[in-house]
Amino acid sequence: MPLDAYRINTEPYYEPQDTEIDIFTAAYSERLPVMLKGPTGCGKTRFVEHMAWRLGKPLITVAAHEDMTAADLAGRYLLEPSGTVWHDGPLTQAARHGGICYLDEIVEARQDTTVVIHPLTDARRILPLEKHNEIVPAHADFQLTISYNPGYQSAVKDLKESTKQRFIAIDFGYPPPSTESTIIARESGADSDLATLLVRIAERSRNLQGHGLDEGASTRMLIHTGRMVRAGLPLAAAVRAGIVLPITDNPDIRAALTDAIAACVP
Amino acid sequence: MRSVSARPSATLQVLFEPEGDARRLHLIMRQRDALRPLFLATWEALSRQFDAAELETWAGAVLELVNVNAGPACLIAYWEASRDAASTREIAPLLGAAQICAEICRHAGAPAATASLNALAIARRSFGAAALSRWWRAMEMLARQAPESVLPAAGRMGQILLPGTIEAFEDFITAGLRSAAGDRNRRLAFFSLQDDLARRMIARDPGGVGFPNVEAEVKAFTTALWGELPLLRGMAGDSMDKPQRRSTISGPIIRLPETYRGVRGDAARGLFRAATAHAQAHLVLGRARFPIGTLKPLQVALVNLIEDARVETLAMRALPGLRRLWAPYHVAEPRGIATAPVLLARLARALFDPAHVDDDGFVAKGRALFAAALPRIEDSAISREIGTLLGNDLGQMRVQFNARTYVVEPVYRDDGLGLWDFDEGAQPPDDVLDLFIDAMRVDAQESADGSNQQAELGNAEAGIGRGRPVAPDDRGTVIARYPEWDRVHGIERPDWTVVREVAAKSGDPHAIEDALDGAGAVRNRVARLVRGLRIGRIVRLKRQHDGHDLDVDAMLDAGIALRSGQEPDPRVFRSSKSVHRDLSALLLIDISQSTCDRLPSGATVLDIERLAVAVLSEAMDQLGDPFGLLAFASDGREDIRMTSIKGFDEAYDRPCRARLAGLSSGLSTRLGTALRHAGNVMATTTSTSRKLLIVLTDGEPSDIDVSDPLDLVEDARRAAVDLRSRGIDAYGVVLGTAGIASAPRIFGRSNTMLVPRVENLPARLSELYFRLARR
Repeated sequence: MPLDAYRINTEPYYEPQDTEIDIFTAAYSERLPVMLKGPTGCGKTRFVEHMAWRLGKPLITVAAHEDMTAADLAGRYLLEPSGTVWHDGPLTQAARHGGICYLDEIVEARQDTTVVIHPLTDARRILPLEKHNEIVPAHADFQLTISYNPGYQSAVKDLKESTKQRFIAIDFGYPPPSTESTIIARESGADSDLATLLVRIAERSRNLQGHGLDEGASTRMLIHTGRMVRAGLPLAAAVRAGIVLPITDNPDIRAALTDAIAACVP
Repeated sequence: MRSVSARPSATLQVLFEPEGDARRLHLIMRQRDALRPLFLATWEALSRQFDAAELETWAGAVLELVNVNAGPACLIAYWEASRDAASTREIAPLLGAAQICAEICRHAGAPAATASLNALAIARRSFGAAALSRWWRAMEMLARQAPESVLPAAGRMGQILLPGTIEAFEDFITAGLRSAAGDRNRRLAFFSLQDDLARRMIARDPGGVGFPNVEAEVKAFTTALWGELPLLRGMAGDSMDKPQRRSTISGPIIRLPETYRGVRGDAARGLFRAATAHAQAHLVLGRARFPIGTLKPLQVALVNLIEDARVETLAMRALPGLRRLWAPYHVAEPRGIATAPVLLARLARALFDPAHVDDDGFVAKGRALFAAALPRIEDSAISREIGTLLGNDLGQMRVQFNARTYVVEPVYRDDGLGLWDFDEGAQPPDDVLDLFIDAMRVDAQESADGSNQQAELGNAEAGIGRGRPVAPDDRGTVIARYPEWDRVHGIERPDWTVVREVAAKSGDPHAIEDALDGAGAVRNRVARLVRGLRIGRIVRLKRQHDGHDLDVDAMLDAGIALRSGQEPDPRVFRSSKSVHRDLSALLLIDISQSTCDRLPSGATVLDIERLAVAVLSEAMDQLGDPFGLLAFASDGREDIRMTSIKGFDEAYDRPCRARLAGLSSGLSTRLGTALRHAGNVMATTTSTSRKLLIVLTDGEPSDIDVSDPLDLVEDARRAAVDLRSRGIDAYGVVLGTAGIASAPRIFGRSNTMLVPRVENLPARLSELYFRLARR
């Protein structure tokens, strides 16, 4: 199998927040494209990995960036000693051989780049490769998943209406406190008291979202902080290094956040 | 100031005569029956502390006062001061005091010298020995240069010394002498604290941390704690001779003292945090309002105290670390005289800190009642129950309670006013009112300021009054005349319309700032866009002759060309260049009558326009793009009113936001003339290569003297076309659905942005600007 390297063999840990597993399963069974929305570090990528494992399909991940061209997705001719050779891009590979193609932070790519996914995400399910003079019909297992962060994306970098409207959307938020502390305890090895405290600390920073912070502390951030504590750092130092300092450069907000976090600690 | 110190203390020795002065003084006193007992008492007290030689010099000092005719009152004051200072066992400061006192007496008379000696007791509370001698020298300078002012200044020493440092006092004296510039009456006004500058100098606390310094931090702190944005206001009008005011809650607003007197640096920051966290806890966890009913002031104070304890208990359950924030302010000790304020402070501490030991029966009962009510802690009714009970107890103990002088302890707590519902019908007892009188007074003062402003606004508003017969002069200054297009006859009527400049009214800039706070998400998005633009946008260039990177696609094409025997394109590099913006923008805001329509959210169209303009202005200000804000409305062709909120050369500051907040709706929309005028303003005052004119309007052009609105649409279209030919890009942002048909006609389809849902305007307007700014 050409995509064996992309298969996930062990179960990635994922704690369901809501019905997202059912939604994704249903969407996959109909081969409908899925859009995952949510703040950074809330588990979007982990969810896709988990779903790929659960469905037993290979997962090809592409991190979108501003310089990404359509050729980077679809493929291009490369020069070899014997002449030019066509190389499939990640999207073409997934479409040709059957797998889940995950475009992370899709809005980072320019709008004209993302248009190449259009024929794949409607009833046609084909990928025209103009340079290669080929039309790749999507494999039966192929499915496209994209993620984007509505808070992070800027007004000038929004998805086109025509792109948006092709997707089934799943909205991710931070998990409810009990779930989140379970996740932190499981992922960082912190005891449940520490995990609960970290969630309470995160709530302080999330309160500041829109009032000085772009986004509150993510679950990922809490896990990292928990790991710092497990590695022997005192809690205050770990919180400062793991949450306060990365999240903002504004001295007022730093001071306020530090004090508010201190108010959580018994 | 230092020049005064020219008199070295060594000259005091000149007075010293062996076996002379003490004896002479005793002889004099023997003849003065009224003074003798006091003198002898003083002499005895001093002789316990000082040896004979020192007493001799002291006697010499008293003699000097006698010699300058200081009078009995002054002598008595000096003796009292001497007794007070005797415990320090330092004779030199006493001698210096007499010396300078004699000097003051020579220049300003005996009453001034006496008053200075009486003021010494107050000065001694604030200053050590070194600072005291500087205080005396400053007083002496005052006596020499402004003899008439010594008496009033000495009488108000308590207030004058409030800033608490000797430097502040010296500055106060020099500033008074300088500002009066020799004018006796002005000096008197200054030193009797009638003068505004004098009061401000006292109120100024050089080392103090004021509310404005900490506002941003405290706001963020409280938001982080409780997840709700607090509405914070500084509290003006703290009078110096009263006890430190507490914070107060009125409705959703938390008012904090401008400064906490005597608290400095980090301690002040901590106190502001503690006070805000406490007040916001009331708002988030409490929100109870008790009817005042027939409660006595002591009961009111106790209900407040129990409610404070209840709310803090709840708060500390959620956020246990708050205990560390509040604990340092609970300092009441379980000893001393059990007056009501002391008992209340002790009860507050006992309820706050269960580990604190206080054996008082009253405190113990309060504790027991509160502990018994803990299962019902969520219910604010317990505060009233327990408070009323304890109030009765304390009343029966017959302890003194003066509602007028009572202040809530500890200092971080609020005055409790926000908890009470004053039923209009019921007359609360007079002394309950006393309890709140100070708090009310501040509110009244503030609203008095506001109403003055209102009155001024009213006057200005008279100029915009609709349909009011006003003299032409009142309608603002005529600044320009413009032609208008006659659609029917196809000609331009010269000098048809008259543009008048109307002075902008000032509103409350807080309104804008609160609205901005409320629009956090939009504001953050815009702030991110600003960050993206500010560093200069970097554009990637493909297929370049040189660059830092190979362009893979171009290289492949070149490789293919080489192999197929064609001439390859040598441009196989990628490079980047940064693009600098060079643009200015003018926002033309429609404030016609229709903008006072209410939206489903309750806000008016103008409110949303204001917010949108504020968000965008903030962004443009940060970007450093020159921009202007101009509002327009019209009342016939003779009266097109332009209000300049911000000129291109003005800074976007608080007065500017106040003018934005002061906009009010009224009259009609003669868009064409407004466009022509805005074009003129841009053409004459900006020099950037790109000029953007963004028009915010909520409907079709119309005016009272034009029956067919199409005429004005056509005129506006011609004005927009004319702008384009002058190199100004005009964009129409149309709110609501009324102008959907005409706007594309005026501005062209690509230069029109329709915002059918007006609430989206703040986001959409900034979006438009950034899209345009990137081009």
